[in-house]
Order: sequence, then structure tokens, then C-alpha cells
Amino acid sequence: MFRGRASLWWLLGPAVLYLGALPFVNRIHPLVLGMPFLMFWMLVSTVATPLFIWLAARGDPVWRANRKQRQ
Amino acid sequence: MNAAVSIGILAAFLVLAVALGLYSARGRDRKALTEWSVGGRSFGTLFVWVLMAGETYTSFSFLGAAGWSYDKGVPIFYLVAYLAIGFAVGYVVGPLLWTYAHRNGLHNISDIVAHRFASPALGAGIAVLATVFLLPYIQVQITGMGVVVAEVSYGAIGLGLAYFLAFLITEAFLVVSGLRGSAWVSVLKDLLVVVLMVVIFVIVPLHFFDGYGQMFATITEHRAQWLTLPGHGDTGLGIGWFVSTSVLNGVVIAIFPTTVAGSLAAANPQVVRRNAIFMPFYQILLFIPILLGFAASLAVPGLGNSDLSLFRMAAEVLPSWLLGLLGVAGTLSAIVPMAVFMLVIGTMWARSILGAHPRTANRQRPLAQLVAFLAGAIALLLTYIWPNALVRLSVVSYEGLAQLLPAVLLALLWRRMSATATVSGLTVGVVFTCVLVFTGNDPVAGINAGLLGLAANLLVVLAVTAIRPANTPPELLAQPESVTLKQ
Repeated sequence: MFRGRASLWWLLGPAVLYLGALPFVNRIHPLVLGMPFLMFWMLVSTVATPLFIWLAARGDPVWRANRKQRQ
Repeated sequence: MNAAVSIGILAAFLVLAVALGLYSARGRDRKALTEWSVGGRSFGTLFVWVLMAGETYTSFSFLGAAGWSYDKGVPIFYLVAYLAIGFAVGYVVGPLLWTYAHRNGLHNISDIVAHRFASPALGAGIAVLATVFLLPYIQVQITGMGVVVAEVSYGAIGLGLAYFLAFLITEAFLVVSGLRGSAWVSVLKDLLVVVLMVVIFVIVPLHFFDGYGQMFATITEHRAQWLTLPGHGDTGLGIGWFVSTSVLNGVVIAIFPTTVAGSLAAANPQVVRRNAIFMPFYQILLFIPILLGFAASLAVPGLGNSDLSLFRMAAEVLPSWLLGLLGVAGTLSAIVPMAVFMLVIGTMWARSILGAHPRTANRQRPLAQLVAFLAGAIALLLTYIWPNALVRLSVVSYEGLAQLLPAVLLALLWRRMSATATVSGLTVGVVFTCVLVFTGNDPVAGINAGLLGLAANLLVVLAVTAIRPANTPPELLAQPESVTLKQ
């Protein structure tokens, strides 16, 4: 299923941001734009998630082969 | 007077929703189950997106999220985290299930399992088990909508009547229009939810706190305990719980029967992949109820039912017509997922139990419609006469459904996995998880009980497979997608 689809490693990105980073971001300070840090970090992760999945798709031969398939 | 305005708006929009749902069936196939259960496998990217948004972001996501942050604080971000992980997993799993189901004419997880093991009995078992775990979700939506209607009508419509209305409105379009109807109603729902969340996000901080800066400052000063894990109170919801729950739920959502229905509705697997990229954008919206839950714990403290925190705050600032619209958004957020829950139960029973016999196979669609109706009726009855039964069951629902992962997903990839191994693992996993949850041991030492149940489940599957491996014919397994390409 994963053979020749190395770009799918990008799909681990969201888990790394939301979960792997937790021990370092589970804090209130510094405030960013007034937001407590953990909340800010969750927002960053949320905005980054579609980017990671897009990166995975961009290098994925299965995605490339079907890119023309519209609808 | 206020109640008349908001009830009028609510009624008008609900009639519109039912009309939209019914209209969607116009000119569509009235006999095939495929049209009802998975929209004829014809949806494009936008429609799948709207449907998935409709069934994923339920009334719980908005009211419950505000309620959690009101009571407990940041542990609620597990919701955003596991959905994000789920979309990443879905990029791979969604197309895999789509291809397998499309190739073999399958409609949901119960007939996928029945096909993989060439065992109608196993499919029937999966359908029953999934139904038991899904019924509580219908009740959650019924009560969720009841609360919203009661609030928005300023108490003029009682809870009992509101529950019945929730049931009636949902069944009214679902039985006729199936998944396509749900998707159409979801268009209305998502438009309203987006607009109203933004409106509330602008108005509430200004009214209660003189702006965002002041709001954040007040929250940081007075609610510090809420703002880092494990949150406020004796929750046991620390980092270990957050990580284990997000990982488990994130993988499980990819095989959740409602997600599968949405994925199978796609016209081709590329639609499913594209959806995995665009779906996460919706999540940004969830930050509004979460943030306002914190704000509500300062603005309207001491609520008995914290799920009402968002509404109570809104009721103080919004004019009655806008509150009515908020009620519509909340109500539709209950109706769409409720419809899809009923639909997947109907689909699984029609495919794997009632319509599994050759003599009844040509009546699968009416059977599915009948069961979808009955599932709603049973959930409604239980809500009235035995409300705690489903509430207690709901605690174990997600973790119970998680035990289906080996049967639905691993089995499609692993030739040696036998039906015996699957049933053994599933039994151990479900029993182990239920024992842990109902003896009050969830989380266990900070780890999600369902994840431990799944570990036990997998160990049993591995052990039984090692002793008596099966040799599954390759055509019953999922084909690697690179192979699908060359066709």
C-alpha cells in the first residue's frame, strides 16, 4: 500500500504537531497575540494540517496519476 | 413576543430543510439501495466536503466543545487533534475502502467484513455490534436538538415535544432521500454555522469584555488552571490521555460507519483524497466555541448544564431573530448527523441481516428505510422512558467501535488473518474495554481504555493467526492502489 509512496510520511505531520510537541507547548506563556501559548500552538497545528496532507499528496504517485480526474 | 419571532424563524428554516432534503430525491433512482445509502457513488469534491462537515461537526462539536472548555478547559482540543489525525489517516484509508467497496458493490463496514471473510454471519454480527454502539449517538443528537429548541423558544417548547420534533424532522427527509438528502440539508447547515459562528465571535467579546485583548487577559488571569493540560478539576485528562485518545480516535474515525458512508459516496477515490486536504480547514471554526466556552465561564458562571454556556451568552446579546437563526444552526447540526447515523444502521441491517438472504435481496432499499426509521424511533423511546441507558452506553461507544479496526481495515491488507482470529480479537477487545469503562477505569493510568482494548484485540488476532493462519484468495483483499492505477 505504501510502496513507492515515500511522501506519505508527511501524513505524520499533524500527529507530531498536536501530540509530539505537547510536552514543550503545554504552557500559558509566552502569550501570542494575547492567546495562551497552548491555544496558539493548537491553532498553528490546525492551520498546518491541510498543508501537510497537501505535501503528502503532491509527492504521491497515486495522486499525480489521478490528478486530471475532476469532479 | 421574542419567543414568537425566534420560533417562527426556527419553524420556517426547518420546513425549508425538510423541503430541500425531499427535493434532492427528485429524478433520482427510487429502487436502488446504492442511491439511498451512498448517494449512487456520484458525489464530487464539494458535496463530499459539505456532507462530511455536516456529519463530523455535530451539535456536540459546537455546544459540547463550549461546555468542555467551560468545565474542564484545554482537554477539549483532543477533538481538533483527533479529527486532524483522522483526515491524514483518511487520505490513505478512504480511497482504499472506496476502491474495495466499489469493486465489490459494498455499502458499509458490515458488508465489507462479510465479503472479506465470505461470511454473512460475521457481517451480521458486525452490523448488530455497530448498531448497539451507534444508537447512543442518535440519542445524543435528539437531546442536543431538544435543548437547543427549548432554549431558543425561551422555554415555550418543552423538552419532550422538542425531542419528538427532532425525530420527526429528521426521518421526514431521510427515509425518502437518504444520503443525498443529508448532504443537501448540510449545505444549509454549513452556511448558517459559518456565518453565525463569526457573528458570535465578533459580538460576544465586545459585549462582555470590551474586546479580544481584554477577554484574553481576563481568561489568562482568572482561568489559568483551564489553559494547560490536564485542565480544571480532577479530570485525569493529562498528556497521556490526550495523546492516546487522539491517536485512537484519529484512526477509528477513518473506519467509522458514517465516515465510510461519506467516502463511498464519492464519485472516485481522488475526490476522497482531495477531501482529506480540504476538510481540515473547517476545524478553524471549532476554535470559536472553545474560546467562548472559556469566556462563558467568566461571563455566565455556575451553569448547571455547561453545554448551554454558548447559548446563554448569546441569548443575552443577540436579538431574538438572530437567536432564532442560531437555533436553526444548532438544530441542523443535530439533524444532519442524526440522519446519517440512522442511515448507516439501516444500510448495515439491509445489507448484512434482513436483506442478506437471496429471497429478500431485491428488497434491500425498503428494508434499509424501515430500519432507519425504527432506529430513530427506538432511540426516541429510550430517550423518554430510559434516558440513562443510552447515556451510559455512549461512554463506551467510540472505544467499542474502535475494536472493529482489525476486522474492517487490517483484514483487507493481511492475507493470513482468519475469521476465527477476527472474532476472537473482537470479543476480547470489546469485553476488555467494557469492563475497564464500566468499572470506572477509563482512563487507566492516564491511557485511553479503548486503546488498551485494541492492543488486547490485536494481540489475540496475532496469536490466533500465528497458530492457524488463513490463506485468503487475493481477490478478497484490498488491491494496492499502484495496481489499481495500471488498469
